[in-house]
Amino acid sequence: MPILAILIALPLVSALIIALLPNRRSELVYPVAVGLSMMPLVAAGYILWNFVTGDGGFQFTENIVFSETIGFGWRMGIDGISLFMVALTTILFPISIIASRSVTNKIKPYMVLMLILEAGVLGVFLALDLLLFFAFFEIVLVPMFMLIALWGSDNRAYASMKFVLFTATGSAFLLVSIIVIGLITGDALGTLASFSFEDMLGVDFVRSTQMWLFAGFAIAFAIKVPLFPFHTWLPDAHTEAPTAGSVILAGVLLKMGTYGLLRFNLTLFPDATVSFAFWMALLGVVGIVYGAAVAIVQPDIKRLVAYSSVSHMGFIVLGIFALTTQGLQGSVFQMIAHGLSTGALFLLIGMIYVRMHTRKIAEFGGVAKVMPIYAGIFLFAAFASAGLPGLAGFIGEFTIFMGAYLSFPVLAIIAGSGVILVAIYLLWAYERVFTGPITNPKVQALRDLNFREIAILIPLVLLIVGLGVYPKPVMERIQPSVDLILDRITEQTDYQVPEFGSTGEVVEPHYGELEVESHEGGEG
Amino acid sequence: MENAAFLPVAFEVVLLAGAMIVLLVAVVAGRSVKVWGPIAGVTFLVSAGVGVVQWIDVADGGGGLFFSAQNLEIIKSPMVVLDGYSAFAAVLLGLVGFTSLLGSWDLIRRLGKRSAEFVALMLLAVAGLHMMAASPNLIVIFIGLETASISFYILAGFLRDRPRSEESALKYFLLGSLASALFLYGIALTFGATGSLSIYGVNSIRDFFSSTILTEPGILLVGMALMLVGLFFKISAAPFHQWAPDVYQGAPSGTVGLLAAGVKVAGFAALGRIFIGGLISQIDTWAPIFAVIAVLSMIIGTTLALVQTDLKRLLAYSGVAHTGYILAALLGGLDGIPAMWFYVATYAFMVIGGFTIVSVVSGPGSTSSPIESVRGLARRSPELGWLLAILMFGMSGMPFFAGFVGKILAFVSADSAGYLWVVIIGTLTTVIGFAFYFKVVAIIFAKEESDEEPINVSLQSRLAIYAAVVVTVVLGIYPWGLLDIVRDALPL
Repeated sequence: MPILAILIALPLVSALIIALLPNRRSELVYPVAVGLSMMPLVAAGYILWNFVTGDGGFQFTENIVFSETIGFGWRMGIDGISLFMVALTTILFPISIIASRSVTNKIKPYMVLMLILEAGVLGVFLALDLLLFFAFFEIVLVPMFMLIALWGSDNRAYASMKFVLFTATGSAFLLVSIIVIGLITGDALGTLASFSFEDMLGVDFVRSTQMWLFAGFAIAFAIKVPLFPFHTWLPDAHTEAPTAGSVILAGVLLKMGTYGLLRFNLTLFPDATVSFAFWMALLGVVGIVYGAAVAIVQPDIKRLVAYSSVSHMGFIVLGIFALTTQGLQGSVFQMIAHGLSTGALFLLIGMIYVRMHTRKIAEFGGVAKVMPIYAGIFLFAAFASAGLPGLAGFIGEFTIFMGAYLSFPVLAIIAGSGVILVAIYLLWAYERVFTGPITNPKVQALRDLNFREIAILIPLVLLIVGLGVYPKPVMERIQPSVDLILDRITEQTDYQVPEFGSTGEVVEPHYGELEVESHEGGEG
Repeated sequence: MENAAFLPVAFEVVLLAGAMIVLLVAVVAGRSVKVWGPIAGVTFLVSAGVGVVQWIDVADGGGGLFFSAQNLEIIKSPMVVLDGYSAFAAVLLGLVGFTSLLGSWDLIRRLGKRSAEFVALMLLAVAGLHMMAASPNLIVIFIGLETASISFYILAGFLRDRPRSEESALKYFLLGSLASALFLYGIALTFGATGSLSIYGVNSIRDFFSSTILTEPGILLVGMALMLVGLFFKISAAPFHQWAPDVYQGAPSGTVGLLAAGVKVAGFAALGRIFIGGLISQIDTWAPIFAVIAVLSMIIGTTLALVQTDLKRLLAYSGVAHTGYILAALLGGLDGIPAMWFYVATYAFMVIGGFTIVSVVSGPGSTSSPIESVRGLARRSPELGWLLAILMFGMSGMPFFAGFVGKILAFVSADSAGYLWVVIIGTLTTVIGFAFYFKVVAIIFAKEESDEEPINVSLQSRLAIYAAVVVTVVLGIYPWGLLDIVRDALPL
């Protein structure tokens, strides 16, 4: 059974069904969309259930070659990294769709676009053909642009265009790099071109070529992540997007960037990765501190969470380029954790925006008195985002911190200070919004969350706690896959993965047998 | 091949016969009979069918060089060639003609008594366009070019009472004639340098280069340059594009579809035939020129499209950019021909669809169409709004739309020939292109209340637009069928 093709087809078929619903029965659109959006979740559940733990390679692979000359085909596969990206996607989409109850204007195209977006994102995480990957990576722009431009708030025209132009500029570099690498691979195989990821793994790219290609890929992904200094599109897009758009943008779309770095930059260009690792990690750390510092002074609560995303995504990049098992593992885990906690925060902000029609922190105050349930869940989500022990964010950040400390102790320590800043901006925002006397009469009239709103948040809360308490099922599936990436890097370069007890520098072992033993395979 | 001796020119014969029938019936039965549209439609479909027959004949091992001054065995100076290249051009031009006829149906209906001439000119124009693709003789290519161009000069100025339309026709005529003259002069100089007017056959240009190396190629270079200028003008490559926005804007909206799509198809067909079919040995000389012109077209087309306030002008400048991408495909020489065909074929339908929508929104005889005319289009007619949005995404080069496949093929072709810098600039201008294509989409879906009437779309216009959208979407998702075909659509 081509389960991955089915997984991508399900949202598309759902979109088609919704598009064919009669126009005069628009009240049907919402329940049908909610029902259909569960189907990919079921398919993802099937994949999770049948996924072989301990196998780091690609599973459920599909390989249909469309064109021998161009070397392009439907090449799909899922490993421990993409597995959880897919799971996150299929969880966040139904939640966002259920949360879109307040969308009344043009509900049909809205749902169709959401489902097309889901198919595009799933394609990005599953494609093992670089041209196919690019196609999915780029097509995501269209529904997201439409969601912001049609259903966004006041400044939507500017924000949607900025979003498209920023990310598309990145993809321009990506496309050139993909064409070049495809032709080089084709050259090695004796055809015009090949865009198969597996084929590319068999080709040794010259170091200088690797550097250029790494840069081309990295620019595209860095803009998507977004890595400092390419982040300026993100606060605008997040703030203007409708609630579901923000949830998907922060929860899933940003992960396309870090996923791309992990999947393609690290695996295809090991030499360049080792050379650029410090600088990428440095940018990540700058992002952590900068994002957090800017978040503190934001007057708009949604913008605040947007900047907190810059900070958190910096953490993930730091973890990736620490080039240690812990760092990579923590990064993948943190992608999930960030998707859940930030998704919850954006949902919560959307819920109060529907009631108040404002997001200005200054206009709130004392909300906890009238909305105790809301305040409780918000505090929980804020703690999850800040990485409170026992919640998913802690596991992710702590593992990244360990991994990063091995490679770049100084950067890791600076990054650790970011965690303190997170606590400052989130708790300070909480204090200003929820505590104190009620000054705005609108706040007095607020009603607490209804059953549907609580029901949307409960799965996220449960997942955050569950992953925070018992991360093992996730970690043990991620680890073999990230180890494969690290093995490839150590095989192809002089790089040695630092371990606890070593100094982190690549030097002659000076701790005796232990070091020799663990580094024997890495001399290649 | 004796029994099918007229197959190579059957396409032209059908179209000319159709044009003659229209004109004769108009004289005999009077012009008030309203059968011109259907007659032309049938003629275009039959001509496309002839193209299919030609294609099958070539695939069966037929084809070859025809209508020489001497016997068929030793062809000295062939006038027509039947190969995959010309057969594909026949099918494509027949369908392009048919679709653009549907798109101009509203205009034809409004022209009333004068519609017979209008339809006849469309048929003549397409016949001329195909001659540019199907002849290996430079003079015949020139005759085809002139047949098409003169028809288009008249079509552009068909609404005589509108100053804009007249101005557009005059501008097109003056600049177009200059380009034709340069092209002709280029032919003369090439003849002077090589002693031949024919690309194939005995003593052909190709043979000349296989046996001779010109030590002083000055005359040939000037000849090639002049031919290029003439053809670059026709396909509106920068910096020879200035006529396009003015002519597109001023010509009646119903005629621009064929003008924009047909000329581009035939212009590229002629470029491919002359430079890749005949002058492939000189690729090191002309490819850098192609590269520079391609890059200029991409940059000028996209940047100027950014600042346009008229939809027709915007489509004209986007056409200049597309010319750049297609030229990039030709950098790969013979390997670039399939990419060129794919791109130009899909672009032709997209641009016909685009101009048909313009014609529906601002009237088939309109000589201007400000972008603001589509503001809130999705509210007035959700169907048209979404269709135009799909065409915009298609032209912008979004994946899963036909424009993307064309661009990838063009870039792969250019990169495999070593023109990485063209690819880099091409991808960057593609991004700049997103700015105006997406802007149009944002305007279509703008929330402003518009109190204008809902739009009535005629069946024919709707068919033309849907044809364009189906091509854009289907060939974007599954291009492999057409790609298999264009792989064989090579010049002899």
